[in-house]
Amino acid sequence: MSWPDATTIAANVAAGRTSALSVTQAALAAIDAGNPALNAFTAITTERALAAAAAIDAAIAAGKPVGPLAGVPFAVKNLFDIAGLVTRAGAALTATDPPAARDAALVRKLEAAGAVLVGALNMGEFAYDFTGENAHDGACHNPHDLARMSGGSSSGSAAAVAGGLVPIALCSDTNGSIRVPAALCGIFGLKPTYGRLSRAGSYPFVASLDHLGPVARSVADLALVYDAMQGTDADDPAQTPRPVEPVAGLLGRGAAGLRVAVAGGYFRAGAAPDCLAAVDAAARALGAVEIVEFPHVAQARASAYLITASEGSALHLQRLRAHAAGFDPDTRDRFLAGAMLPAAMVQHAQRMRRWFAARCAEIFQRFDVVLFPATPCPAPLIGQKTIMLGEQEVPLRANLGVYTQPLSFIGLPVALAPVFAPGRLPVGVQIAAAPWREDLVLRVAASLEAAGVAAARPPE
Amino acid sequence: MTDDALDAFLTASATALGLSIDPAWRAGVATNLRVLFTAAALLEDGPLGPHDEPAPVFRPEGLAR
Repeated sequence: MSWPDATTIAANVAAGRTSALSVTQAALAAIDAGNPALNAFTAITTERALAAAAAIDAAIAAGKPVGPLAGVPFAVKNLFDIAGLVTRAGAALTATDPPAARDAALVRKLEAAGAVLVGALNMGEFAYDFTGENAHDGACHNPHDLARMSGGSSSGSAAAVAGGLVPIALCSDTNGSIRVPAALCGIFGLKPTYGRLSRAGSYPFVASLDHLGPVARSVADLALVYDAMQGTDADDPAQTPRPVEPVAGLLGRGAAGLRVAVAGGYFRAGAAPDCLAAVDAAARALGAVEIVEFPHVAQARASAYLITASEGSALHLQRLRAHAAGFDPDTRDRFLAGAMLPAAMVQHAQRMRRWFAARCAEIFQRFDVVLFPATPCPAPLIGQKTIMLGEQEVPLRANLGVYTQPLSFIGLPVALAPVFAPGRLPVGVQIAAAPWREDLVLRVAASLEAAGVAAARPPE
Repeated sequence: MTDDALDAFLTASATALGLSIDPAWRAGVATNLRVLFTAAALLEDGPLGPHDEPAPVFRPEGLAR
């Protein structure tokens, strides 16, 4: 399997050691060969990709500067606008929407940096999903075991990167939709701080919780693509104006001097041994011995659940009235129930959000970075309906994000570091810091990668 | 909330919102509603007092961007 990283591709293309066209052709061939088993792509933009690659090669031949991602193939979850294509957002009901007139802001940023868009990726319907299953487009398969879930809702993004089809992909994360599939597929992911990256031109799910971010097979690649996407965009009303704060040059600092703790209590209860062992291996490598308890996490997570159900359902209320039968049955019932949620319950959840953010801010005064498990278990089987949370059998869809949801609830930056124990399916470690400290979470992820604790691996 | 009360709430809400709930979906919607109400009940036992304000804050200057 081809397993090139974006950093090497860009360096080779910029130096003329290889052409953007040959890299793009290789990626398109990898998609042709690998996608039937994974079901990661829902559209392949061959013509556009070949034209973009040829333009980069022409620029290089003319001695013009090319960006830091020159010739790097990438693909996006099909909730990102791609000019000329209908933005599916994983739904059949969107099929008759007009094609997007313009690319999403982050697609434009990556192409401006020289990256080459090769297609759109499978996802759970309207991003209300942790499984990677989709009644319309079919389930996305985990490259490490095709019978198992990729995780979702950024299912195609994680499967395409883990399966060697593209080195980087873009995702959204409302409650864990970058981190859950990255963990189950064994790749790196970054959910930046809420409000950091522009969401303009992406299909919303829960405006007050939606984030966008990348997945990749190395921390250097994550940083490269994240840096290229920073910058204020007036088209996203929720974005916080911030200066561009590049992180790629900071990765070499590692974790030295950082105060690292392990989350206890709620975040140790119910996780499978593999998931806790990964957190413990990361903690050992970082010399982290302190356990920190976060208060009222169950209420925080419940609040995220309520806000998601209410806002997401309100967004789709017209469709639920007129076309409920056209929804994926697994999301339809959740959306219908969410639409009925009394306002007082949602308002209570929004008050809990501020309370929990304030308590976590106190914790991040004492610690620079905290480690958490990503999921309660490795990848379940496709079609599985329940998982074990400790001794309790619980519904899978509602609980795969039990550890990711409290962190996105308050918008913390989180890096997802994949851990492979010998002979086992991959699991993930969440590395979280105070808002706007993407530098810290990526430095710690790079430190774990350098120590050999975290790594993405090609499927066997 | 009893099953009957939940069912009555579901029926009334669907009417108020103009939603048609196919009989085949009703059990699934009720299950999800039960999960949501359980989550909301958890918050009743939470730490909030009257001075804990909600997270979204309207800032008029934000509209000028």
